[in-house]
Amino acid sequence: MPDILSNLLTVWTDPWLLFLTAIGTLAGIYVGAIPGLSVTMATSILISFTFKWPVNDALALIAGIFMGGVYGGSRTAILLNIPGAPSAIATAIEGYPMAKRGDAGEAIGLTTVMSVIGGFIGIIALALFAPVISSFAIMFNSRDYLLLGLIGILLVGTLSGESFAKGAFAGALGVLIGMVGLDPMTAEGRFTFGNVSMMGGIPYVAAMIGFFGVAEALVQLHQLDVAVIKQRVDRIIPKLRDVKQQLGLALRASGIGTIIGALPGTGGDIAALLAYDHAKRSTKKPEVPFGEGCKEGLVAPEAANNAAVGGAYIPMLTLGIPGDAVTAVIIGALFIHGLKPGPLLLVETPHLFWFIVGALTLANICLLIFGLTGIRIFTKIVECPKGILIPLIIVLSAVGTYAIQNNPVHIYWMLLFGVIGYFMKMYGFQVGPVILGVILGPMMDSNYRRAMIGARGDIGTFFWNFVSHPITLVLSIALVAMLLSQTPLLRWFKNWRARRHTA
Amino acid sequence: MHSVTTQRRGERGFSLLLLVFSVTAFWQSYAISGFSGLSTAGVFPMLASATMMVSAACILLQNVRQSPSTSGSSNDGFMQSILPLPVVIMMALITGYLFAMPALGFLLSSAAFLFLSFSYLWRKSLLTSLLITAVSVASVYFIFRKVFQVVLPKGSLLQSLF
Repeated sequence: MPDILSNLLTVWTDPWLLFLTAIGTLAGIYVGAIPGLSVTMATSILISFTFKWPVNDALALIAGIFMGGVYGGSRTAILLNIPGAPSAIATAIEGYPMAKRGDAGEAIGLTTVMSVIGGFIGIIALALFAPVISSFAIMFNSRDYLLLGLIGILLVGTLSGESFAKGAFAGALGVLIGMVGLDPMTAEGRFTFGNVSMMGGIPYVAAMIGFFGVAEALVQLHQLDVAVIKQRVDRIIPKLRDVKQQLGLALRASGIGTIIGALPGTGGDIAALLAYDHAKRSTKKPEVPFGEGCKEGLVAPEAANNAAVGGAYIPMLTLGIPGDAVTAVIIGALFIHGLKPGPLLLVETPHLFWFIVGALTLANICLLIFGLTGIRIFTKIVECPKGILIPLIIVLSAVGTYAIQNNPVHIYWMLLFGVIGYFMKMYGFQVGPVILGVILGPMMDSNYRRAMIGARGDIGTFFWNFVSHPITLVLSIALVAMLLSQTPLLRWFKNWRARRHTA
Repeated sequence: MHSVTTQRRGERGFSLLLLVFSVTAFWQSYAISGFSGLSTAGVFPMLASATMMVSAACILLQNVRQSPSTSGSSNDGFMQSILPLPVVIMMALITGYLFAMPALGFLLSSAAFLFLSFSYLWRKSLLTSLLITAVSVASVYFIFRKVFQVVLPKGSLLQSLF
């Protein structure tokens, strides 16, 4: 126990580490907030500097960037309606209407406090349940991952947008984009048209920046002449009444976030959307309807995506499986520092585990400080005329895309997706499911094929496996329930039965 | 979920385009490995494109059932509601930016793109636009080239300079 405590406090007592965590959090907030700069990109570029650093320094900086970055996306979501990260998609749905009313300060204050609460819940869960959850997640089968991916994409597709068909189309389109390139299992080319530059596939960051950055910038051109709303940012510390009122929801959302974050392959983005869905279902009488700036809809996803940070560390440290794209980058950094993330990490190097828990806690406190300050400077960006902002977003998106792999072809892809995304948005399609499809598609593909090979290619056995195992059964039921409740299938079935009855 | 009763300009055309794209995608997915097995490289792309085909067909069906958009010359309405002039001009500028980048390099082409779009969208004096362009390009260069050490694309024309 004293060992744990001293390892936990290492980061707090060393001024240099304290500084690194704080600067990481601050950088994370701003990078996460800048449209076109993804946390994944920032983490991978910043981590490239830390390869030569001592392990502790690198871990402290990474913890700060991750924590700050996940939160930072919410600021641009509220102020510009551009989610800085996929995890802020739901935040944009409720936060932007609040900003349109001039309540951006209140929205930012509330999201900050709720993000910090969520962050702490995630960290506590990491410290307490890392061993327990690892023993549960280790039972997950490839078909469970397939189901998780499907549920995730369909959830995003049905949560917002005009119809289930449009959500399903967008999700499937994303999966298809994710398939482009050499098949990782057989090295066959898919949709490469014999073109070498297509073999590496389409990087999802290019798709993400295109669909969210450029497409949104083009849509914003429609409201070029709309006067910029002066944001009230004098009241940033949220009202105690609001915090008290939302605390229960925040705690439940944090629970959802931690669990979803801990599931491999699902990160803050799915956690935020599931929590948003939960808020929508559990809030009977919201003060403002959902979609028009409802506080409940803001609190739940923000608490959940920061809780997912602590959660995402659980499978990464205990199983060696990254929870999302950011943890995939972090896991690479850990390997380079000679660490072996996996079941043995907790046994062989427990001090590092507790150091990470301490660093995350510190980063979370920094988040509270930086999140409630400096918004005045930040809102200057919103008061900047759109005529300046839009071209800048396009240029930033181009640099951001290029920075990932120094490949100019990615810029072309990004801008093409921007134009496609513009038309999709104009015709009532959501671009969120596309991105999720791109990220989760390859994972679902390989897991589908593993499950099929596991069933020896027999379609009967394959489907039987979906109902004959308890974990899979629960997930299958969830998927079927979602399909039935969101599509007219159930109504058609009832009509058909009624007609048969009368006949 | 709310349903839109009147449809937007060109919505049927767009849905039809999506359906055609989905069918092409399915055909291309089939070309990967055909129906030779259930765990081949082509199965998942076929499932995805089949989902696209079905949903695009549903969307088109919904559109056909909806009342068509308000009367009038459909071409004018389409340009006004879906592709207003600023969007067309920005798309043209972006295309020009793309084609200029390999020759001029990132910094020069970005500067030109920013200057032209600032002057068009913001309509302040040329000097102001020029000043903001200089400040933006300088800060992008500093943050990305110096802090993040991103190697920005260089042009073929002025290779040694930009």
